[in-house]
Amino acid sequence: MAADPRALVGRITKRFKRRFWGRTFRCPVCHLELSLHDLDAHGLVVCPLCGVVLELDLPYGHAVPVVHDVEIFRPQPTLRLHPMATHIPIGLYPFALLGALLLAALSVAGALGLDLRPVVLGTTTLIEQAILIILVLSVAFSLVTAASGLWDWTFRYRRRRYAQINLKIVTGAAFLAVGAIAIALHVSGLVFSQVTGLMDLASPAGVLAGLLYLAAMAAGMVLLATLGHVGGNLVFGR
Amino acid sequence: MHFDLDAEQHELVERAREFTREWISPNAAQYDRSGEFPLEICRQAFRQGFMNPHIPPAYGGAGHRVLDHCMVMEEFCTGCSGIATAIDGNGLSQYPVILAGTDDQKWRFLAPMTEQLMFSAYAVTEPEAGSDVARVKTAAAKIGNDYVLNGVKWWITNGSVASWYFVLARVEDRPTGFLVRADSPGIVRGPKEHNLGQHASNTVRVTFEDVKVPEANRLGGEGDGFHIAMKTFDHTRPGVAAGANGIAKAALNIALSYAKRRRTFDKKLISNQGISFKLAEMMTRLDAARFLTYKAAWLFDQGRDNTREAAEAKWFAADTAMQAALECAQVLGGYGYTNEMPAEKLIRDAKIYQIYEGASEIQKMIVVSKLMRFKEVH
Repeated sequence: MAADPRALVGRITKRFKRRFWGRTFRCPVCHLELSLHDLDAHGLVVCPLCGVVLELDLPYGHAVPVVHDVEIFRPQPTLRLHPMATHIPIGLYPFALLGALLLAALSVAGALGLDLRPVVLGTTTLIEQAILIILVLSVAFSLVTAASGLWDWTFRYRRRRYAQINLKIVTGAAFLAVGAIAIALHVSGLVFSQVTGLMDLASPAGVLAGLLYLAAMAAGMVLLATLGHVGGNLVFGR
Repeated sequence: MHFDLDAEQHELVERAREFTREWISPNAAQYDRSGEFPLEICRQAFRQGFMNPHIPPAYGGAGHRVLDHCMVMEEFCTGCSGIATAIDGNGLSQYPVILAGTDDQKWRFLAPMTEQLMFSAYAVTEPEAGSDVARVKTAAAKIGNDYVLNGVKWWITNGSVASWYFVLARVEDRPTGFLVRADSPGIVRGPKEHNLGQHASNTVRVTFEDVKVPEANRLGGEGDGFHIAMKTFDHTRPGVAAGANGIAKAALNIALSYAKRRRTFDKKLISNQGISFKLAEMMTRLDAARFLTYKAAWLFDQGRDNTREAAEAKWFAADTAMQAALECAQVLGGYGYTNEMPAEKLIRDAKIYQIYEGASEIQKMIVVSKLMRFKEVH
């Protein structure tokens, strides 16, 4: 049903997986979803979550993984920087997006002749500045998150190519890019008026900049949610 | 006597195997978990000519022999018997029309199914009438040129996606077959049943409340319904047995693949006699079930009575599938008990073969009823 957002997300995810991951199967021990692309030249894969060494066969197209061994020693950094750092962008970014949506709504109301600024006690310029600070902090800390994630991938996962980690690397880079675009648009003064703190919807350039800004912010949220979801799977399993 | 397939059959089996590997097996676990109807796979099956194989060429169909159909079903069910049932469910309702329908009925109900993806359903079972089909209570009252149907049919495969139903109802006290359009006013389709296995198959109840059916949609004469419903099974039971053989084949393939690779006590699992004998027994039983199935199908294709052979094939193949699925789980050990491996699904899927289209006990009753006519068995 189109009205069911969970079903819609499920369909999008399914198509995405089919397109980029191809055939998937689950680790019979921890249930983590793995891709055929994760197998090495010998048809083996070490599950990034539980560490079992799996060999896969596809009799009649059925995925039949066999557990041969388990990797017990998995280097764990003493300072768990990646899981700690990841909470900052994930925790802060939604507030930046909510603030931007609030200002966009007030701007549209203003353009329609409804001055709703008193609803937020006339603090629109303050909100606009807060959005920028939160946005900069999110993107800056995501640099730390990305760097610590690459460190973990190198030492804990021994730079093995997993579809889940590839996805994290790609979405992490994409988040940094859209975050940088959103910050650039914000500080350029094209989106928000420095006097009112609202979007300039009177000029086509202002409308275009506002739409681009909101699109970049929304895309950043989707990417961040994907990063968090995949990261959670890799740590906690299904 | 020879056991070779002809070139056409070889090609058909290869195509079915390829379809199974590409479309059915990789999606089996997903549809089993979601319970969603595999419409996309049915669409692909339709495009590749795997749906409605029995419809005669005169009405646009492929006119497959029962034996050909059995081999295709075995392949499909090796992938997933739930998805295979969704693809093949039309056959059970189409055969009464092929058997007893008029030329006009065949054009109206069968021919359109060869032109676009459509489903139909065999609506016979009722809560109080399963194996004992003659007990159906759905009533059909003759009013003018129409019949008015009232009653409820339960566990109807493809029930909520069907465009028409074959319905068995009583005209006074005589069971009679009707072809009923699914968009007729008064038809209410129930929610999907949550069954033990074959989750991809759509099983629902269908209620008929003052449903008008024109006389032109009555199949055969009044009172012919029971004979038509029973004769249909001579045609469909070899196909059901072939489906069970598919499950047994899947179980054997999975167990074999696992036993050849898994190591225990410093040797391959298959090197243990206790395991290897299981595989040998599974293979032998599968071969025996196949030969019974193929013979029942071949007899039908020759226009000969196959009632006993179809019953033998159906119960033996069902028991073989159940046993093979259980042994597969045993070979896989603890992994056979997890839902990330296909063995547990095979156990759930296999059980229904001992129940639907006549429980195994009914099949044995049919065999005995035939034996009663013999002085000696040759």
